[in-house]
Amino acid sequence: MLQHGPLLERLLAGEFICCITDEDAFRHLSVEQTQHDINHYLRPLNRRLVTNDDNSVFFLGYHELTKDAREQLSGQFAITVQSLLPLLEWLQLVQETLGRDSALTAGDTIKLQEFILRTEDNQSLRQRLNQLASDRFFNSQSEQLDNQVKLIFRRLKEHGYLLQPHQERQYYIVTGKIDYLIDVIRFIRDEEHLPVDDTPTQEALI
Amino acid sequence: MAPVDSAIASNLLTIGAERLALLGKHHKALMQGYLDGFVDETAFSEGALKKLIAARILWRPDEQQPLALRPLVSELIASMVADENRRQINADVAEKLEQIRNRVQAYRDAQYKGDYSVAELQLQRLTEQVHDLSGQFEEAIDSLWHRLNSDFGFVASLDDKIRENERAQKQLRRLLDGLDLLDFNELIELSEGNNHLRKLLVSQLQNQLSSHHSSLLEVQKRLVELLAKFRQQQARSMLINNMAAFLRQHPKYQPADYPNRTDVPVLFNQAAIIKPHAAIALDKASERQILADLVRALPRTKATQLSETPAASFAQQWQDDAIAARQQALKTDVENFYLRVIDHGGKLSALDYLAQQQLEWDSEIWLYQIIAEYQALPLDEKQMFAIVRDEAPASSMNQLLLIRDISLGLKAA
Repeated sequence: MLQHGPLLERLLAGEFICCITDEDAFRHLSVEQTQHDINHYLRPLNRRLVTNDDNSVFFLGYHELTKDAREQLSGQFAITVQSLLPLLEWLQLVQETLGRDSALTAGDTIKLQEFILRTEDNQSLRQRLNQLASDRFFNSQSEQLDNQVKLIFRRLKEHGYLLQPHQERQYYIVTGKIDYLIDVIRFIRDEEHLPVDDTPTQEALI
Repeated sequence: MAPVDSAIASNLLTIGAERLALLGKHHKALMQGYLDGFVDETAFSEGALKKLIAARILWRPDEQQPLALRPLVSELIASMVADENRRQINADVAEKLEQIRNRVQAYRDAQYKGDYSVAELQLQRLTEQVHDLSGQFEEAIDSLWHRLNSDFGFVASLDDKIRENERAQKQLRRLLDGLDLLDFNELIELSEGNNHLRKLLVSQLQNQLSSHHSSLLEVQKRLVELLAKFRQQQARSMLINNMAAFLRQHPKYQPADYPNRTDVPVLFNQAAIIKPHAAIALDKASERQILADLVRALPRTKATQLSETPAASFAQQWQDDAIAARQQALKTDVENFYLRVIDHGGKLSALDYLAQQQLEWDSEIWLYQIIAEYQALPLDEKQMFAIVRDEAPASSMNQLLLIRDISLGLKAA
């Protein structure tokens, strides 16, 4: 168990572990025996490993759903629901601004300077970014584009959606937590039968 | 070889060489024509145009149309520069097979007649055709790999990529069907009793085709995988766009209370954070030395007597007890902020702290008090703190600096 000490600490601190945030740890976590060992170790703390549908990201959940645990989960869930729209809008904005032909996925790199440059010259992108930055989730007070973008990316880093490999260099890598977000959205969509399509209609295919 | 043949051959040589030279002579204008889809007639002299048309390099598809490169020339360029938008894949095997059969027949006839020079020539042509057949697959496979490895980067949108991938899969199926047309029993029969033919048609061709076959299967596997990836990306984009649109239309939307269901979906089972803390323990003698060093490294505070006039003690000036109490409360909160900075170690923003602790002070008053408290510190304690003002000009016209926030941190001892 000793070798997994740092990993356990990161998991306990609420981190999502994917192959982007920590490739080695992720490989370890993908081994069934390690999962078993870690769960065994976490049992007295009322924690267990949880993973998403396609096992691309690991995090800690409660082993037993006590009253306190449920309270905490309710709070967490409220935050998640609140953050859905700003996160989705951010995903759309990045995709459009950088002219990508597909949505962001784990492992994609975003250069902050490029993003700022492209937003600067475009009034409508500028406005959308302005609106997004002032959303409660990002909560920027600044009027300056540069500061707004930096804050947005910093918040996303804090929330584990982005990884900044070098403290001084302004580029970010999308982590596997984005997959988790998509899974959450898909789950809610399926569960609540929301009229939200994700398969192209026949006309779109032709 | 017959004298007539050699005359034709030398004639062919001169004409062919001349016409190939035409390609080189006008390379830039022709390449531009390839890119534009038509050639700029003003770029050539009239004589040159005539020559190019006679050489079947250029043609006019229609009276009204400008001159363009002949399809075969375009194809040649596309293959040379691996331009996947224009590269053609020729999957026609039946025609080639027919030619091979005829050649074998002609070769055998010539041998039968004892006309060895003709037989030699036929064998030469047959070899070329066999190589053509294999080369045709090789070219197609090269093109397919090229497209695969570039992730179909030659088209811009995901929809186009999906269409291109499907087109490639169809081509691939035609190529595989073409390979199926080759019946080795027939080829063995054709080459019966002749070593040259057997080597050419059976061992060599079979070797090449079986390696093409496995390459094609590999490409097919990868194409299918890539298509699945494209579709997944497409689904993800659509999900994001449609869900965002839905949430924008229904701002009050609230999903069911999953955390309080009997079975909490795993996705929402996200436990609270546990941060393991550790403190100094003195029970291990071996570590005492390290601890002693740590203690020695702490910044030393001299026991100085605080003077009785801290700058920010407004309290005495006011008679109103309520105001004095509020002032004292503010002072306590600020002191707590300073204590937090000391505990925390890193830099701490005053306004962040204010928001975090949900204190009710006006942010301006709060910042004032923090500065006042800092100014009131004795000099050596002042040196312990790094105070950074986050300032900005009042407006672009006014150079007056407004303090937006203050961050306070511990200076390294």
